[in-house]
Amino acid sequence: MSALQIKHLFGLQGVSKSDIRTILDNAKQFREILERPVKKVPSLRGMTVVNLFFENSTRTRTSFELAEKRLSADTVNFASSNSSVKKGETLVDTLRNIESMKIDIVVVRHKGTGVPKFLAEHSNAIIVNAGDGAHEHPTQSLLDMLTVEEKLGTLEGKKVAIVGDIRHSRVARSNIWGMTTMGAHVTLCGPSTLVPRNTELLQYKELAGSVSWETDVYKAVEDADAVIALRLQKERMDDALLPSMREYRNFFGITEKVLSEAKDKVILMHPGPINRGVELDSDIADGEHSVILDQVTNGVAVRMAVLYLLAGGRANENA
Amino acid sequence: MKMHKEMNIKNLVLKNAKVWNGKSFEERKEVSFEQGKGLATEEFDCNGALVMPALFGLGVDFMEPLRDDVYTFADGLEALHRGGFCGALYESAANPIDDADKLSAMKFRVNSPDLEYNFANRFDIKFLGAYSKGFGSDSLAEMMELAEDESVAGFGDGGEAIPSTRFIRLAMEYGKMTGKRFFFQPMDKSLRKHGCVHEGAYSDMLGMKGIPRIAETIAAHTVLEMARFLQVPVHFKQVTCGETLDLVREARKKGIDVTCDVGLYHLLLDDSCLETLDSAYHILPPIRSAADREALWMGIEDGTVNAISMNHTPVLGQDTEVNFEDSVPGALALEIALPAIWKELSARVGEARAIELLSIAPAKLVGAKSAFDENTQKMANIVILDPNKPHEVSKKDFAGHVSNSPLLGKTLPSSILATFVSGVWTKL
Repeated sequence: MSALQIKHLFGLQGVSKSDIRTILDNAKQFREILERPVKKVPSLRGMTVVNLFFENSTRTRTSFELAEKRLSADTVNFASSNSSVKKGETLVDTLRNIESMKIDIVVVRHKGTGVPKFLAEHSNAIIVNAGDGAHEHPTQSLLDMLTVEEKLGTLEGKKVAIVGDIRHSRVARSNIWGMTTMGAHVTLCGPSTLVPRNTELLQYKELAGSVSWETDVYKAVEDADAVIALRLQKERMDDALLPSMREYRNFFGITEKVLSEAKDKVILMHPGPINRGVELDSDIADGEHSVILDQVTNGVAVRMAVLYLLAGGRANENA
Repeated sequence: MKMHKEMNIKNLVLKNAKVWNGKSFEERKEVSFEQGKGLATEEFDCNGALVMPALFGLGVDFMEPLRDDVYTFADGLEALHRGGFCGALYESAANPIDDADKLSAMKFRVNSPDLEYNFANRFDIKFLGAYSKGFGSDSLAEMMELAEDESVAGFGDGGEAIPSTRFIRLAMEYGKMTGKRFFFQPMDKSLRKHGCVHEGAYSDMLGMKGIPRIAETIAAHTVLEMARFLQVPVHFKQVTCGETLDLVREARKKGIDVTCDVGLYHLLLDDSCLETLDSAYHILPPIRSAADREALWMGIEDGTVNAISMNHTPVLGQDTEVNFEDSVPGALALEIALPAIWKELSARVGEARAIELLSIAPAKLVGAKSAFDENTQKMANIVILDPNKPHEVSKKDFAGHVSNSPLLGKTLPSSILATFVSGVWTKL
């Protein structure tokens, strides 16, 4: 039995505050374990986790793999570049073949929105979304929330500014749902070609009053408790969504001057990898407000908590 | 596998029926219909069910011959049969009818005596010729020769995005000589790009690539300008938003001959269905917002919309059983259209307008014989519908081996009981 109301982690839309609370509280305990000399616990011993990555990933896959190994699970990596998918196998057939090998948990990344949910409908395994298209990346948001709580104590009443390519960002979408559920106010900021086009978004009743838009980065970060800069992909220039990296940096990059509009103890986050000198100036990426490396550590703890709780763990059994 | 019993009869006697008389449903203890193919007389107790003119389907694609692995003419005719249709406008995205040989081949297939279930010549099938060779934008199709055949209702684009404006001008300029109507699904290719759903709040939050309304309205505006300039009648297939209907209204005020239809699913659904992430809702043109859906209903009510189309598009199971964005768009509609929409449609616009939208107007639009003869006030082909008998949609409702429909597993408010088309009586 899962210790959570959810059986799989597809995204953070619709996930209850109590489930997010449980994950974050467990992650804090795993975070402590990661500081010990022996970082391994036997929570998932005997269980097999498949990392099913149809898109390239280094950080997220490594983080999941490390989390699985820290929980003593058997881990298998499956990447589409060297798999039967290249030979035309369908998604369902790939999953069924892997499932026939008696696996328990599938961590999946895919370019298509909804693939984790689709796989859950065709499988008995527990499914964890490691990023589906531009839809959601829930564990990234959970580690962002863990980092905010670790540094600022709580998300309740905090102002979080997310700056950059919101339209193509699964991280932004998960943070919109997750952080507003936990009581934060989220301000989205980016060039008008890189933010969702429809202010109808605010018609989602769950988001009413909790999300706002800005095209002026100074206003977006004004009095912010946390600023998340998103990675700008160079392909956006080829698609005529932006004129140049230079102009982007000048109008939407997070600089010392921009950050001075935020609260004194603002924390600066980034999902990585960073384009230094584009979305973040190098000196502030390594500066006193930056918590980017804490995010990476928290990523392992959060993923341990998610896997442990979905697999049916109890909070204090192994911690 | 055929799931019903059918027979050629001479005379059909219906008891306790509510029979369409051109204005309303009239309660009749007994009424007979004579069509004269067979010898027998068949009696059927309708128990108060509605007896109405058989439907005429717009937007129908049976895929054969190039994609007969998906669907065949036999499947399509069976679907027409089950859905209470007496004819359809056939337009294949896979098989452009761009010369007389292809038209002959299509006509032969539709009326082949080798067809299973005695379907030959039962349905009035009209064809939409292609205005270009292979739905391209380089060469014109042989429209003059195609138009000599009375089964060619007009010229269309096979659901392709409108090619270059110059080519459309040349196609319409040349095609004007035929006197036929040009059918377009207005869609600006570059604005659509990789879009697969309506561009709105749901596509934004799901991170799916959207198709904006302006992809439709800009293309529609181009076509209307061309129609005004060249004085060629045009038809818009499966309009999805109120802004396009506004363009139609304005164009008519200027004297442009423009007709339009709205797809069945665009009246039944809105883009909140995207939250299910179910590829069954992957339909093109896309299902738009609740406000758009309501605007389409307004267009139905005020007469802007001429007909309801089916956009009947078979898709293989393996092409729908994937994640939404990788799935092949399309939905079946013929078998379930009438029971799915009758109650809401007749409640909102009245029974007479409902029959006009589903049966009389679409047939008239393509020059087919109507199932209801306005001169004699008699029905030539009928469908019997129990409006209050719910029907749960299952795979066996669909002809062929495909069952791609967002209504699969859902309960429809009404049920088709029987049809009498071209002298063939079938209890379903």
